[in-house]
Amino acid sequence: MSAVLHAEWTKARTLASNGWLLAGVAVATCAVSILVAATTKCSAQSCGDPAKTSLSGVYLGQAAAVVLGVLMVSGEYANGMIHVTLAAMPRRLPVLAAKAIVLSGMMLAAAAIAVIVCELAGLPLLAHDGYGQLPAGAEVRAACGTVGYLMLIGLLSLGIATAVRDPGVAVGIVLALLFLFPVFAHFTDTTWQRHLEQIAPMTAGLAIQDTVDLASQPIGPWAGLGVLAAWSAGAMLLGGAVLRYRDA
Amino acid sequence: MNIEVSELRKRFGQTQALDGMTFTVQPGQVTGFVGPNGAGKSTTMRVILGLDRPDTGTATVGGKAYHQLKNPFTRIGSMLDAAALQPGRSARNHLLWLAHSQGLPARRVDEVTDLVGLRQAIKKKAGGYSLGMRQRLGIAAAMLGDPPVIMLDEPFNGLDPEGIIWIRGFLRMLAGQDRAVLVSSHLMSELEDCADHLVVAGRGCAIADTSVAELIAAASGGWITLRTSARAEAMELLARAGAEVASTGPGVLTIKGLSAEQTVALLTRNGIGFSEVSAHRASLEAAYMELTRQFVEYQGAEYRAPAGETA
Amino acid sequence: MIAALRAEWTKFRTVRSWLFCLLLIPLLTVLLSYFTTANSDCGNGPYPGQPVTLACSQPIGPGGEAVEDQFYFVHQTLTGNGTLTARLTGLSSAALQPWAKAGIIVKQSMTPGSAYAAMLGTGARGVRFQYNYTGDTAGPSSAHWLRLVRSGDTITGYDSADGAHWVRIGSVVLPGLPGTVQAGLFAASPQPSSTGAVQAGHMPTVTGTFTDVTVTGGHAGSWAGTGVGAVGPLRSAGDSYQQAGGTFAVTGQGDIAPAVAPQAAITPIGQTLTGAFAGLIAAIVLGTLFMTSEYRRGLIQLTLAANPSRHRVLAAKALVTGAVTFVAALAGVAIALPLGKHILHKNGNFFGPISMATELRVAIGTAAVFALAAVLALAIGTIARNSATAVMTVIVVVVLPYLLAVASPVLPTTAADWLLRLTPSAGFSIQQTFQQYPQVASAYTPWNGYFPLAPWAGFTILCAWALGALALAAFLLNRRDA
Repeated sequence: MSAVLHAEWTKARTLASNGWLLAGVAVATCAVSILVAATTKCSAQSCGDPAKTSLSGVYLGQAAAVVLGVLMVSGEYANGMIHVTLAAMPRRLPVLAAKAIVLSGMMLAAAAIAVIVCELAGLPLLAHDGYGQLPAGAEVRAACGTVGYLMLIGLLSLGIATAVRDPGVAVGIVLALLFLFPVFAHFTDTTWQRHLEQIAPMTAGLAIQDTVDLASQPIGPWAGLGVLAAWSAGAMLLGGAVLRYRDA
Repeated sequence: MNIEVSELRKRFGQTQALDGMTFTVQPGQVTGFVGPNGAGKSTTMRVILGLDRPDTGTATVGGKAYHQLKNPFTRIGSMLDAAALQPGRSARNHLLWLAHSQGLPARRVDEVTDLVGLRQAIKKKAGGYSLGMRQRLGIAAAMLGDPPVIMLDEPFNGLDPEGIIWIRGFLRMLAGQDRAVLVSSHLMSELEDCADHLVVAGRGCAIADTSVAELIAAASGGWITLRTSARAEAMELLARAGAEVASTGPGVLTIKGLSAEQTVALLTRNGIGFSEVSAHRASLEAAYMELTRQFVEYQGAEYRAPAGETA
Repeated sequence: MIAALRAEWTKFRTVRSWLFCLLLIPLLTVLLSYFTTANSDCGNGPYPGQPVTLACSQPIGPGGEAVEDQFYFVHQTLTGNGTLTARLTGLSSAALQPWAKAGIIVKQSMTPGSAYAAMLGTGARGVRFQYNYTGDTAGPSSAHWLRLVRSGDTITGYDSADGAHWVRIGSVVLPGLPGTVQAGLFAASPQPSSTGAVQAGHMPTVTGTFTDVTVTGGHAGSWAGTGVGAVGPLRSAGDSYQQAGGTFAVTGQGDIAPAVAPQAAITPIGQTLTGAFAGLIAAIVLGTLFMTSEYRRGLIQLTLAANPSRHRVLAAKALVTGAVTFVAALAGVAIALPLGKHILHKNGNFFGPISMATELRVAIGTAAVFALAAVLALAIGTIARNSATAVMTVIVVVVLPYLLAVASPVLPTTAADWLLRLTPSAGFSIQQTFQQYPQVASAYTPWNGYFPLAPWAGFTILCAWALGALALAAFLLNRRDA
């Protein structure tokens, strides 16, 4: 397993596009977060959630995370290198596991940098606009949770891409899973809206950023992140099964 | 170490890709794996590497299924498709991750780089490689683990004559080191002077599994051609010795039933002059064509110019 | 060009997975639209946080639009030509709304939605002459003497600072106005524009105080007070009038104005087509793959060898992509829209009167949005030559802005508006059937179904994106080695 891991790590770090995508995750997350934090004002009635606002760039940053996760495996299917990989490492599930570990590590590093920059730059801007101070625990939970969120999005993409192989189709499916639930939720009645927001990978996963008015949210922060984790695990299982039982 | 393929069968939808493919690859010789397009050569190799799962049958390397091999590249080096690279990665890094996957030190990368003569270009991105360089890179990858078995799918494809000569010599050298070498090709001529043994595939099974010498002898039919000015004497002498003799041209006799050595000895002993004795030797190509004629999957129709274009 | 088109069309229709992807466009559009419409009900649909279910129907005004027509009316009949004059001495309210109204009105009948003309004072918008819900003319704000003169079908509004010198503010012809109409004093106070804050029974009221009320012409002579229209469950107690000699105090709630969301529970017609977003992603993937698959195995070299004019190849690909996605999407929309309307109607939703032309604009426009998104994807695919990046980019610029602006409360409204002005998501404006009215204060936000751009303006933005990307793609395709 350590040889497999070593190989996958060498593979990941020697492909320049991975570096660009990781930078994309970090830059997109930071840039949008800071822009939103700088332009948001407390309205007369209410302030938004400062944690959510200061980390809102994750909506864009996750798109780069999806591409990164998808290309970890689809990139090999696209040019046939998967055959070399599986000839070198014929036990397929450890290969997928190694890819998942390497991807998680890279995502955690990029997301942690992004989130730290967002919080350092964004929260003072918001405090200036009249947002209240958060309890430190909630803030740390939102920040760390966002890092975990991006990692889980990467794993979800990796799993789907392993199952469908084609990079374009995989990105389409993952982004559809992320973006379509909230659109449908917006237009359904309150019961369904709540249900959809509880099961949607993005809406539930980003509940980890909720720090105010927790009682009225459709799902709790950790339960929400758990829902996303279940999606990611499901996708990885599906991908693993396809990889294991289908001809390469 | 050897490769054993036994009774492989596999169906893709309507197509029976493998239909009882069976053969063995022995060490110390180059085994050519030939057959027309679609005969099942690549599928067999994919099954050997565990990429495709056969419906029935087994393929083993040194007695083990591929997925049971620990660090498989140290047992069997392989190249299926030389173009199967991620273009953005340098050739050296491509070999490096493969080395890491087998627990091999980075030093091996430099060794195989020198072995295939890619030292100058090794830092370049693999996407910019020509087909010939990619073939060399693929062979370098196959040699990383210094394996006792090497399996290459169509390594001659797209190579210039110099490259073909290089690979032939390289394969001979590997066989000389007592390794088992399996090389597929759909062109028999590429394997001329290189393969010792042949597995001929047709419609998913091995239609011949034989040494090159036997195949040629079988196709040659044991004919000898004799060129002599003393035609009548020679005919009489040879006929008496029990050979079938026919006159096929002015001063040319065709003899069956005697070997070239026996013929020369007989003529010399009886003082009959001759200018040439040659055993009729079918070319490998001809022997192969004869063997596979009925197995060719796609046969071209005679060419006719499209109507209206015949001015 | 014809040959290039035929070649690309053949290329497209002979790949089975693409045909499957194409089939997904109408399939996802219809199925998911069905899912959302079947599970939405009126008053809760697009307006979460609404404290109570609103009445899901509105009277229709003379101009054919849905209207609010709720107010307290102190009235008597007026037969034939005549004049109504009053001096509005003050508006008072516990929470005075800018568009709280009190004034004099001549109205066709007591039926909500009937024709009218009124001179009125407002909470913060001065004196106005308003008629038939959408007509609105401002007068000098200091003059509080109000007068309406009926002459045949024509009603003219005047105001005056002293009751002696009258200034004409405007006049309107109300065709078919009956001989006998209702004339009198009224008061109405609309909901605050941040509607979520209103609790049931706490609708604000306004009290208008009048003196010097005179009527000339054939009038009944005695006043009666009536609440016109149903104010609904938000209604608070207190609609009334008091008369002390020549002084009237009229207290009312509601509004006489065009109906707008979210105060009125009007469902945007685009809600029948939510499933289109899933179909749209299929169209984007299809458009991208139609180009990037050429690069995957070097097919592009053969394509360009067969037709060396690269512009022509790109144009042919764009036409084929646009045409097939348009047809597929139109098939989906043609089923989803009537089906969704039927279901939403059954669930008690109210669309307001929508003309056939508007409905066609929404349907065809939505299908055109699909086509343009697919062409944009084709162009981005040509630029990126990598399907993962291209699909991501196009979904991020087409779907994400809509999601953030319309369906998610993360962004402030100004940011949401700018997203829907600048990004390709502006194209969804083509589904807009709501209109903003300056004389009604409301939360005209994307969240409530109001796009910042007019339908065709937004559509043009998407066109510009698609064409711009196509131009860049053509430039790069020409300049780069294949």
